[in-house]
Amino acid sequence: MNGSESDPLEPGLGHWLRERVAHYAQREPAEIDPSANLTSYGLDSVYALSLCGDIEDRLGLVLEPTVAWDHPTIEALAAHVEGMLTDARRPQDAG
Amino acid sequence: MTSSARTSASALSPASVPSTGPARPDASGAGVVTATASKPVLSGGTVDLEAFEQALGDPFDPSAPLSFARSAESDRREQFPADMCRLLDRLGMPSLYVPVEHGGALARYDELTAAVRSVARRDLTLAVGHAKTFLGGVCVWLAGRPEQARALGADIVAGVPVAWGLTEHGHGSDLLAGTMQARRDGDGYRVRGEKWPINNATRGDLICLLVRTRPEGGPRGFSLLLVDKRRLPHDRYRHLPKVPTHGIRGADISGLAMDDCPVPAGALVGTEGGGLETVLKALQLTRTVCTALSLGAADQALRITVEHAARRGLYGRTMVDLPHVRRALGRAHAALFTAEVVSVFAARAVHTMPEELSVISAVAKAYVPSRVDELIMTCEELLGVRGFLADYHEHGAFQKLHRDHRVVGVFDGSTFVNRHSLISQFTLLARGHARITANPAGVEGAADLTAALPTPRMHRLSLTARGGCGLTQGLAGAAADLRGLTADGRAPARLADLADELNGHCERLHEELALCPPSSQFAPPEAFTLARRFELCFAGAAALRVWLHNAAAGHDGLWLEACLVHVLQSLRPARTAADEAVFDRLFDALRTGAPVAPPTTGGGL
Ligand SMILES: Cc1cc2nc3c(=O)[nH]c(=O)nc-3n(C[C@H](O)[C@H](O)[C@H](O)COP(=O)(O)OP(=O)(O)OC[C@H]3O[C@@H](n4cnc5c(N)ncnc54)[C@H](O)[C@@H]3O)c2cc1C
Repeated sequence: MNGSESDPLEPGLGHWLRERVAHYAQREPAEIDPSANLTSYGLDSVYALSLCGDIEDRLGLVLEPTVAWDHPTIEALAAHVEGMLTDARRPQDAG
Repeated sequence: MTSSARTSASALSPASVPSTGPARPDASGAGVVTATASKPVLSGGTVDLEAFEQALGDPFDPSAPLSFARSAESDRREQFPADMCRLLDRLGMPSLYVPVEHGGALARYDELTAAVRSVARRDLTLAVGHAKTFLGGVCVWLAGRPEQARALGADIVAGVPVAWGLTEHGHGSDLLAGTMQARRDGDGYRVRGEKWPINNATRGDLICLLVRTRPEGGPRGFSLLLVDKRRLPHDRYRHLPKVPTHGIRGADISGLAMDDCPVPAGALVGTEGGGLETVLKALQLTRTVCTALSLGAADQALRITVEHAARRGLYGRTMVDLPHVRRALGRAHAALFTAEVVSVFAARAVHTMPEELSVISAVAKAYVPSRVDELIMTCEELLGVRGFLADYHEHGAFQKLHRDHRVVGVFDGSTFVNRHSLISQFTLLARGHARITANPAGVEGAADLTAALPTPRMHRLSLTARGGCGLTQGLAGAAADLRGLTADGRAPARLADLADELNGHCERLHEELALCPPSSQFAPPEAFTLARRFELCFAGAAALRVWLHNAAAGHDGLWLEACLVHVLQSLRPARTAADEAVFDRLFDALRTGAPVAPPTTGGGL
């Protein structure tokens, strides 16, 4: 886990994802609608895979590269990743 | 199972392509290949690649089963080389398209690529037409149900051709644009739409189709159906006519149209919605295997050219003794050796580091066909008018292979498409390079040709290489190892200088990769240049690794030097004359019959 322990449920995750998507789409974050399909920003299926690498890198999780295919909006992706973080932080996983 | 993945690439030594093929007195080109010696040499029990090469015979001999004379005939008539295909069937070639666990002989991808290369160095049309069955089956090996894979394996081993239908009219590389649709209907599907242009669409009794199963499409909107045409209602599908083509004229390039055709539910391969993911993984394997088509073409081009140059008198000398000819032929061999190392490394990497294959296969499929295109152009210049005449000079074999090879860089993902897939992984490559995250054992296992290959673990294939590329990450270490060998004279110092220079390029490249802005679908031209530089660094690193892990004592490193100079010439701003002399030395050594080829070549040269 790197640098994110202070956010138990990652309230900033959606915000950060929006910035990443804006970065790939080469637009302003404000222009990115969290409920819109990522493909509407020209983020094709292959680039959606890169997003997975960014999330892994930030949160120290291992995800399926296709995570953004199965959760194709920022909202859905954030919810899914938060769910994974919660699971990963259950006490039994510590031992 | 023999462990040999070695082939006898042989531009120089005619003896290395055996001239004692099975006797075949019929020279009309239309008759049946007699099967005197065509018992299986490739089967679940044994994979004897040398016997396979022997049985195929010397293509220069018109009475050989796969001769240039025969190939020219079917090319001229634009006729499918059915007899030659049957010979390959009898020798057991189809069993190499089926993994051992599904009843075939495919245990090692380097054996499959070696066999494809053996066929391609005789007739590329035949190799493309026959090996397509591997491409047709591979999605089922990755995602199919065990009984589905078993049944398909039995069909393929029995010689049934299988096609792979991804492309449609108007949609080429953009797989998500496909409109062939399958909708649920009772127990199965109804399929409507057309696939075109498809290799073996008409001949193939089975075809693996990528179909839209969600009207809105998207990465989870496509599925795969393995359709058995023998069981479809005949009035619900039809074949689209053979398309006349520039090269591979004898191949069955046609199409399939389905008209609300009922397809049973059991045809589904993997999960509904899993089609794109499976195809992208399958392409990693097929792109790796397709590089063998280019190697075969290069073998053939070089052999024709060298034999011509050795015979042709010009200005009171033999052509091969003219300084520029010698240099060009040396450079062409360096190009072949580098391409061959990349291809063999990639085929072994399927076993040792499948998690990196999204990078490795893209590099291999971008690098090998495009460098072999250049090699063929060099040969064409040297052959002069003989490269151009259709019937003259080895039955016009050269102009045929020239046309045939053009398609290798187009289908199964063009050079651009593969570079684009590398570009989409630049962030991972840069990040991995900075932190050295990939597993070095995978690189060593791929480079050490004597290392046993583990059974391929296909569940480890991934759409992106999470840790980046181990080979380029380990280049600095490999260059340092080589420098260490120079200390006690086990390697010449100039080799270590070249390796350091390559490493410098690789480091600078990765700094640029880290700064390259993401570009989604529309990558800028500069990114394609970076991708090409990555391929060159990868190719040089592969050569270095293969040399380090297989260098016999006293080996002077001539082939490695030639390979490094070859890739560095494309990385440097300008050529330097001093370096180029290595190509003269390489060619001189090859002419004496000295064993100077990389160990990926095997016993031929
Ligand atoms: C002889 C032959 C046999 C074939 N057999 C089969 C078969 O068996 N099964 C099958 O499904 N298909 C088959 N095809 C189709 C082949 O795979 C397609 O031609 C291929 O997908 C490319 O499509 P396209 O040529 O229509 O190019 P397009 O996809 O229309 O591309 C046009 C150009 O843009 C480039 N380009 C495309 N995408 C990108 C990108 N992302 N980045 C940069 N540049 C890009 C291409 O390289 C090309 O130069 C066959 C084709 C031929 C000629």
